[in-house]
Amino acid sequence: MRELVRHAWLVARKDLRVEFRSRTALTSALVFTALVLVVFEYGRDPTAVPTIDLAPSILWVTFSFAAILALNRAFQAELENDTLEGLLLAPISRSSLFWGKLAANLVFVALVQVTGLVLFTLFFNVPVWRVWWPLAAVMALASVGFIAVGTLFSAMVVRTRFAELMLPVLVLPFLLPPLIAAVTITAKLFGGRPLSEVAGWLRLLAAYDVTFVTLATLLFPATVSE
Amino acid sequence: MTTGRIGRWMTVIGLLLLAVVYVRALKFTPLEASQGLAQKIFYVHVPAAWSAMLAMGLVGLASILFLFLRDERYDRFAAASAEVGTVFCLIMLMTGPLWARPVWGTWWTWDARLTLTLMLFFIFIGYQLLRGVIPESALRAQYAAVVGICGLVLLPFIHLSVYFFRTLHPQPIILKPSAPSAPPEMVTTLLMSFGVFTLLYIGFVVQRYALGTEGRVDA
Amino acid sequence: MPDTVPQTGSYMVAAYIVAAVILVGYAIVLARRARRS
Repeated sequence: MRELVRHAWLVARKDLRVEFRSRTALTSALVFTALVLVVFEYGRDPTAVPTIDLAPSILWVTFSFAAILALNRAFQAELENDTLEGLLLAPISRSSLFWGKLAANLVFVALVQVTGLVLFTLFFNVPVWRVWWPLAAVMALASVGFIAVGTLFSAMVVRTRFAELMLPVLVLPFLLPPLIAAVTITAKLFGGRPLSEVAGWLRLLAAYDVTFVTLATLLFPATVSE
Repeated sequence: MTTGRIGRWMTVIGLLLLAVVYVRALKFTPLEASQGLAQKIFYVHVPAAWSAMLAMGLVGLASILFLFLRDERYDRFAAASAEVGTVFCLIMLMTGPLWARPVWGTWWTWDARLTLTLMLFFIFIGYQLLRGVIPESALRAQYAAVVGICGLVLLPFIHLSVYFFRTLHPQPIILKPSAPSAPPEMVTTLLMSFGVFTLLYIGFVVQRYALGTEGRVDA
Repeated sequence: MPDTVPQTGSYMVAAYIVAAVILVGYAIVLARRARRS
């Protein structure tokens, strides 16, 4: 068990280091976030549509994009540098490889989401502070399951033609349940609803995460074996 | 008789029986007063839904069996079921809005059934696109199985999340287009239609499977 | 309950035709693919 964690950490650290050196995905994610915020700000009539009504949608459009971007880069570097075989020959288990990739993707997504949230709070007058920790919980829960499926799929898709097209097409239906739950919960949080109202949704998210992280871990070896 | 011919015969019989169901639904089943004739779309839409779900269920099952037993026939079956499932999904997606428009006043509503169908459609499409971009049959079978299993596990979650969303946000809907206490003629017509659509599913899958076996299609 | 039954027949016809076309069409497609060798 400790081997698994150690190896996963090594894989994750390598991935993150590579990303931070090039910073391309991170930059595009942040640019997109800023773009979304600007478009929503100028696209509404402030007297007719209060920001708080749009807030959940704005945030989750941004967060979804961050997630998909993270997935796109997941195996890209390995493929470009032909290092995927080397990675598979290394004396680490398939599970470690998967968990390492998953961890790196989650860190990336968390970074973009937090930055997006901070920018959002700065530019829009929405009281985020009051609900920051349920909000953080939703952001985490909604991302984990979806990223697990995405990490699994990107391992397959990266070896096919039209990889950049295949990944969003395959992964779209898997985005729906966490997204619906997340937007609903976020709307209730900003609306000042009591936490008891979102408990059911949070349970759904948790069930989704557990199911798909487990399933992805079980299926990952099938995506990287010959 | 080859597999393909058996499938073709089943399909022909199914289509003839479909005509019978059509006549029965249109002429010999009572009219529903609050929705008018449009309610009869029910007899086509709901059995199509059943066939599409059956198709997905069997894709998932065949995928699991393939990963465990490594018998390529399961993969061939999954490919056939996915293609047939897409056809039934298409029927649902077209008859659904045609029913919704006169009854609910809108072509599309993000209710549980329609949303689930749309996502099911995307899963089928994605599954087949993936098969299309992998030329090596062993790899293709393996990857398709992964997607097939994930797709199947996803369906209950989509249903639950859309259902919870809907029940908490009451819709300006006058009535649910299903028949809770339906007269027996309606139930009979519906059951007949279920039978015909199941027969058509089987006939189509057998034909499509035969195409895969004879090497006419890349499974 | 409405006094008169809503006139929704055209939608029913359209839906029944669409379903029939798709089913028959797919049957034909499958048969033709089998014939091509």
